[in-house]
Amino acid sequence: MFKLSRKTLVNLILAACVVLLISAFSPFFKDSVQKTLKPQLTLIDLFKRECAGIIFYHRNMIELSRLNNEAENLRRRLFDLREIEQENGRLKNLLSFKQRSSFRLVSARVIARSPDSWSSSIIIDKGRHNGIRRGMAVINTQGLVGRVIESAENSSKILLVNDPSQGISSIVQRTRQEGLVSGSLGSNLIMRYLPDNAQIAVGDTIITSELSQVYPKGLLVGKVINIGKEFSGLSRYAVVKPAADFSSVEEVLVIIP
Amino acid sequence: MKKWLILIVLIFLVTLQLTWPVFLVFFNTKPDLLLIFAISLVFYFNFKIAFVSAILAGLLKDTFMPSGLAINTVLFGVWSYLTFRLSSQISTENNYVRLAIILLIAVLNNTVLGIQSLHSGNYIPAGIFLRNLIIPSVYTGAVSPLIFKLTKRISA
Repeated sequence: MFKLSRKTLVNLILAACVVLLISAFSPFFKDSVQKTLKPQLTLIDLFKRECAGIIFYHRNMIELSRLNNEAENLRRRLFDLREIEQENGRLKNLLSFKQRSSFRLVSARVIARSPDSWSSSIIIDKGRHNGIRRGMAVINTQGLVGRVIESAENSSKILLVNDPSQGISSIVQRTRQEGLVSGSLGSNLIMRYLPDNAQIAVGDTIITSELSQVYPKGLLVGKVINIGKEFSGLSRYAVVKPAADFSSVEEVLVIIP
Repeated sequence: MKKWLILIVLIFLVTLQLTWPVFLVFFNTKPDLLLIFAISLVFYFNFKIAFVSAILAGLLKDTFMPSGLAINTVLFGVWSYLTFRLSSQISTENNYVRLAIILLIAVLNNTVLGIQSLHSGNYIPAGIFLRNLIIPSVYTGAVSPLIFKLTKRISA
């Protein structure tokens, strides 16, 4: 039934040899063929795409609009997630700080800032209900933030350290030199009433002193960035860069004595 | 009805002023929306309503200020009265004139607040004093056309 003639068999073997030969040499001319045909293929593909673009213009337009919307939604979600990630980081820092700290702390969120430029205050979302009372010190993970000046049932007003009416009895950590740190409404604080021979240098760390009635001893206030002489020439002053960034403070910790 | 609308706008503006977005804060300053609204009421409403609203706006602002002194309540009332007196002397129909009045009042308001702060013994460097005097006043003036539109809409 499957008996092949000798001639047919020879032809089949020859055809197989030719196929094998071609396939064996194909890599050699594959590249050159592809290279030769590439411009034409590109041109045809471009033409096809353009034609398809024209024919399916409306469908593509709707698709583009849908994808743009989707991209916008995803971008918004990404932004939200980044915000949550940052908040998560901040809260983690607060939590670990709270666990490390020897003080009894109540964490609170900033809900409003002072309405004008002549004072520096914030309003937080915790009040008397959470044990917050007038005069309590407020810190964050970076350092001293301010003190409670008013406490309502569920909110409190905090006077920030950079308010000019603040006066914090502080010391230079290295030399224990005492001075009074007050705000100036700017980004830096001023340590005043330093004697002419005060042992203070740029880079020194300023902390709260035990003489302070409001702030517990040893809270980080900031670092000295400049030293100058008072206009009267009797004493010196130091410009202190606060440890806490008041413009971006979002969560704070109130120290419950 | 309009009185209720004024109250709602006052609450909206005080909320906006307290939660003013950080990216709109220039040189650590923000515009005084309540002051603009209090003055713009004189242009669009009768004096009685404008004066009472100005006092209320000042009171609202003072509620959120750290100092116990109700200086804004007094000042807003004074500015409202002076604007009323001025508007009977000169024509305040033109928006540029209104903007100039707001700018002038903002500068005066900031000057009084600054002097009051210095007078209470606070130390404010000259540079920061000038910054707080000029930039928020200009910013307040720049934002005022938006509040004028809002006031005009509620008066209509």
